[in-house]
Amino acid sequence: MRGFAAAPQPVEDADHGGSSGGSSMIEKKGITLRGVPLYLDMQATTPMDPRVIDAMLPFMTEQFGNPHSRTHLYGWESEEAVEDARAKIARLIGADPKEIIFTSGATESNNTAIKGVAMYYKDKKRHVITTQTEHKCVLDSCRWLQQRGWDVTYLPVRPDGMLDMSVLEAAIRPDTALVSVMAVNNEIGVVQPISEIGALCRSKGVFFHTDGAQAVGKLPLDVNASKIDLLSLSGHKIYGPKGVGALYVRRRPRVRMEPLMSGGGQERGLRSGTVPTPLVVGLGAACEVAARDMQSDLAHVRRLEERLRTGITSQLQGVMLNGPSDLALRYPGNLNLSFAYVEGESLIMGLKEIAVSSGSACTSASLEPSYVLRALGVEEELAHTSIRYGMGRFTTDAEVDRAIDMTVSHVNKLREMSPLWEMVQEGVDIKSIQWAQH
Amino acid sequence: MAAANEARTLFRALLREGKRFPNYNLRDFIQRRAKESFRESAGVTDPSAVQSLLKRGREELELVKRQSTVYGLYGRKFKNVLELDLKFKPNTPAASSA
Repeated sequence: MRGFAAAPQPVEDADHGGSSGGSSMIEKKGITLRGVPLYLDMQATTPMDPRVIDAMLPFMTEQFGNPHSRTHLYGWESEEAVEDARAKIARLIGADPKEIIFTSGATESNNTAIKGVAMYYKDKKRHVITTQTEHKCVLDSCRWLQQRGWDVTYLPVRPDGMLDMSVLEAAIRPDTALVSVMAVNNEIGVVQPISEIGALCRSKGVFFHTDGAQAVGKLPLDVNASKIDLLSLSGHKIYGPKGVGALYVRRRPRVRMEPLMSGGGQERGLRSGTVPTPLVVGLGAACEVAARDMQSDLAHVRRLEERLRTGITSQLQGVMLNGPSDLALRYPGNLNLSFAYVEGESLIMGLKEIAVSSGSACTSASLEPSYVLRALGVEEELAHTSIRYGMGRFTTDAEVDRAIDMTVSHVNKLREMSPLWEMVQEGVDIKSIQWAQH
Repeated sequence: MAAANEARTLFRALLREGKRFPNYNLRDFIQRRAKESFRESAGVTDPSAVQSLLKRGREELELVKRQSTVYGLYGRKFKNVLELDLKFKPNTPAASSA
């Protein structure tokens, strides 16, 4: 049917010699795997592109100089590479290279933007606006401000995850310093109306920060067209290295901020510390490749999402899409589905040959349902059974087909064991049942 | 046309060298992307644009050669579950079987 006639077998009794030439099994965390799982968790992180590794290697071998050294070749060649990378990042988002600051990742960029701007303008402006579905690092930075006396508004979102512009407009006050809304959500892939938010903020004289970790390099984004004042981006979400990111800080009209890191005054004094040349070169290369491959990547991911979504929903009932169904409003590389009458943890455990997650990597360790799904108003049971499939540049059709087969067979298997599913099939309305009190 | 001949040679070499990656996803990506790029570039007639495309093609071929060696040295010992089931027989370079 899809080229995989063989039904997925339980790992324990699988005896595939394969081309690895042995019966060697992978054992980790008490789980035995017969091979490396398929990777469908591209929102958690992406593998590095070989073009990125190729750009980085010279700076991990002989060209090891400190880019801030002014007196010798080692420093000069590193500085040149760092500035070249800065220009590549700026080009991808339509910025000036002088507006790019290197950080350790999107978490640091978000912290710097939110706390830094709020602290600089604290005498006149004591209010910050964000949404309930932001990444933990944005919410936690806002919490930090709240504990120090700032007022924070956490805006609700619509059931498809979109921010309502009228809700935002009503929340803006004369003392609002900053609005922070992420461009693409990491759990459900919803694309927020960034340009409209930017235009509104500019007209009200409020700075606009956006967390672009899941958007930059994947969707077209221009800081001037969208009137973005601060933009966070991350290396490892765009096939670059982990441990590096950048913050775009607008120069005209100028955004002032207090640095979180004190020291040698690198990066215009906003982020002290030696710039890590190999990582920064990798980030630059990742941005250059992303700019060049964006249309190809996007078309590829759109095709895969269509294949995965229709493959699963054509074979299973009771599958709910979390996030907007309109693909103009959702990044297609992110498909978040809930399976009714299936226990989420059991499903994830059953799908151990596919690396997927139930939500963000930061919160996947807890048994609590995702706060993002709860903010959308997804029922607790369904929020517990969500699976996020993340596809990207290196995902193949065969992997998607395998994910469909595995998901369908495991959901069916778990439902066969579920008394609730049996009752639903018999036409009993589960919600009408009065469960006995104990 | 010398340029068209060189483009064909480059295309075939990219496909061949791309198969040397021990990683399944990268092998697949290089085949797909090489075909896409060469199809896109087929209609280019401007001589300077053709030259810059050929230059990039040559550079990318060298990059694929270098990186397939790196992946051969540092690749995993275990295969991807898909490869096991497909009884995939990649053109494994000497480095990864060592």
